[in-house]
Amino acid sequence: MIEVTNASRWYGNVVAVNDMTFSLGAGVTGLLGPNGAGKSTMLHMIAGFLGPSAGTVTIDGRPTHGDPEVYRGIGMVPEREAVYAFLSARQFVAANARLQGVAEVEAATQRAIAAVELQDAQDRAIGTYSKGMRQRAKVAAALVHDPPVLLLDEPFNGMDPRQRLHMMALLRRMAADGRTILFSSHILEEVERLAERVLVIVAGRLAASGNFREIRRLMTDRPHTFTVRSSDDRRLAAALVAEPAVSGVALDDGLLTIRAADFGTFARIVPGVARRTAITLYELLPTDESLESVFSYLVAGGARR
Amino acid sequence: MNGTIAGITFRQLLGRRRVLLLLVLGAVLVLVALAYRLAGGGDDDLRWTAGLLENFGIATLMPLVALVLGTGAIGAEIEDGTIVYILAKPISRSVIVATKLAVAALAAAALTCGPILLAGIIAAGGMGNGLVLGFTLAAAIGSLLYAALFVALSLVTGRALVFGLFYVLLWEGFLSGLFAGTRTFSIRQHTLAFAEAIGHPPTDAFDASLDLVPAVVIGGALLVISVVVAIRRLRAFELRGEAA
Repeated sequence: MIEVTNASRWYGNVVAVNDMTFSLGAGVTGLLGPNGAGKSTMLHMIAGFLGPSAGTVTIDGRPTHGDPEVYRGIGMVPEREAVYAFLSARQFVAANARLQGVAEVEAATQRAIAAVELQDAQDRAIGTYSKGMRQRAKVAAALVHDPPVLLLDEPFNGMDPRQRLHMMALLRRMAADGRTILFSSHILEEVERLAERVLVIVAGRLAASGNFREIRRLMTDRPHTFTVRSSDDRRLAAALVAEPAVSGVALDDGLLTIRAADFGTFARIVPGVARRTAITLYELLPTDESLESVFSYLVAGGARR
Repeated sequence: MNGTIAGITFRQLLGRRRVLLLLVLGAVLVLVALAYRLAGGGDDDLRWTAGLLENFGIATLMPLVALVLGTGAIGAEIEDGTIVYILAKPISRSVIVATKLAVAALAAAALTCGPILLAGIIAAGGMGNGLVLGFTLAAAIGSLLYAALFVALSLVTGRALVFGLFYVLLWEGFLSGLFAGTRTFSIRQHTLAFAEAIGHPPTDAFDASLDLVPAVVIGGALLVISVVVAIRRLRAFELRGEAA
C-alpha cells in the first residue's frame, strides 16, 4: 500500500510536486501528465530516491526515503536508458538478484527473463539490444526479487507497438497476482489501455484521480473549439449559430472558428446541418486537442467533483 | 564489501578507454627508465632513480591514475544514471562506499605500483637499497589516499575531475613548492614520507621533506574524513527526475 500524504517537493524556488495526497493498492495505476509535470519527481519520491520537502510518502506505513531496507519490497524501472552495457541481460538480472539478496539467484533470474521473454537474447551484451529489449531487461531486473510494488517511469518509451502490447500484458498479469503497479506516461492512450486507476498530474498538482472512464468523460465533456473549411463558410456559420450545441461562432480572415459546449453533441449535429444547407465540409479540425490543453482544463477546475 | 558491486565496478573502471591512457603513462615511465639504462646510466643511479620515481611516478602517474579511477568509481554511474540500480537495493550505503573505494584504490595501486616497481628496478639496476621497494609500497598507500579523496569529491561535486586536477596541480604541484606549510596537507608529500620510512634508502639518494608522524596522522585523518563524507553524501544522495 503506497500512501502519499500532503507531499510536496521543491528545488530552491521551483515547486516540482505540490501538496499531493493519494493512496494506492493492488492493481495498475497510471500516472498521467505532460512532460515536466512532476511525474518523475513523484515516482522518485515513492521509490525513496528523493525525500519530500513536506508531507510524507510511505509504503506499508514505512517512509521510503533514507531506508535502503524498503527496496526489498520495491522494483524500480527508471526512465533513463543507461544500463551496464557490458553485461548480458542474464548477468545484469542476476546481479540485481544478488544485490537484492535473493536466495536462488539462477532460478529467479531465469523466471524474470522468461517473464519478459528475453530468453533468446539473454547471453548477449545489453549494449547490443534495441530500445525495447533494453526496456525489458530493465523490467526483468526490477522484478527478479518478486516485489509487491513495481514502479515504472515511462516504461513504453521507445517501444514498438508489439513490444508495447507485450509489456502491457505482462504488467496486467503482474497486477492480477496482487501487485501494486504504478507507471508514468504522457500518452493518454497508453494509460487508457492499461490502467484501472489514473492519477493526472499537471504542473506539480494532482489534477484528477480515479477511474479512467470518469476522467475520460471529464476530458471529453468540455468546451471544444474547432476550425472549419467548407464550400460556404458564411452560410454554415449562420446555420450553426442557431444550434444549441454551439456556443459561439467567429469568422476571421476567412477562417471559421466554432466553440461547442461539448464534443459529443457537436460531432453529431454537424453532418446534419451541412446536409440540410447543402454545404460541403472540406475540413473540421479540433484546435486544442493537445494533451496540455486537456490537462490545463482539468487544472482550471473542470474536474472538480 | 559487496562482491557483486565490486565486480561491476572493476569492469566499469577498466573497460573505459581512458584506462589505456593510464597504461600508456605507466609504460612511458618504464621506457624512460629503460632509455636511461640503455644509455649506460649515470654517476649516481640511485639518485637519478629517486628523482624519476618521485617526479614521474609519485607526482604525476599516481595522482592521475587515482583521479581517473577515483572520480569514475561512483561518479560515472551518477552521471549516466546507472547508480539507481545500486541505490535501489537493500544495501547499506557504507558498504557501497567501502566497495567502490576498495576497487578504485586496488585498480589505481595496480596501475601505479607496477610501472614504479619495474622502472625502479631497471633504472637502479636492482632494488636500490630499499629505494624501489619503499616507493612501490608507498605508492600503494598513496593510491588509497588519493582514491578516497577523489571518491568523496565525486559525491560532493559533479566536477570532481576538475577540482581534483586543481588540487594535484595547484596545491600539491605549485603551492607546496612556494610554501612549505602546505606540504603537510599534500598526499604526494605523505607518500614520499612513507617511501622513506618503508625503504630506508641512503639519505644522499632520497630524503623526504615531511616526517613520518605528520604524514601518518594527516594522511590517516584525510582517509577517515573522506570516507565519512562520502558515506554521508551517498546517504543523502537524491536522484532527480527528468524535470529537475
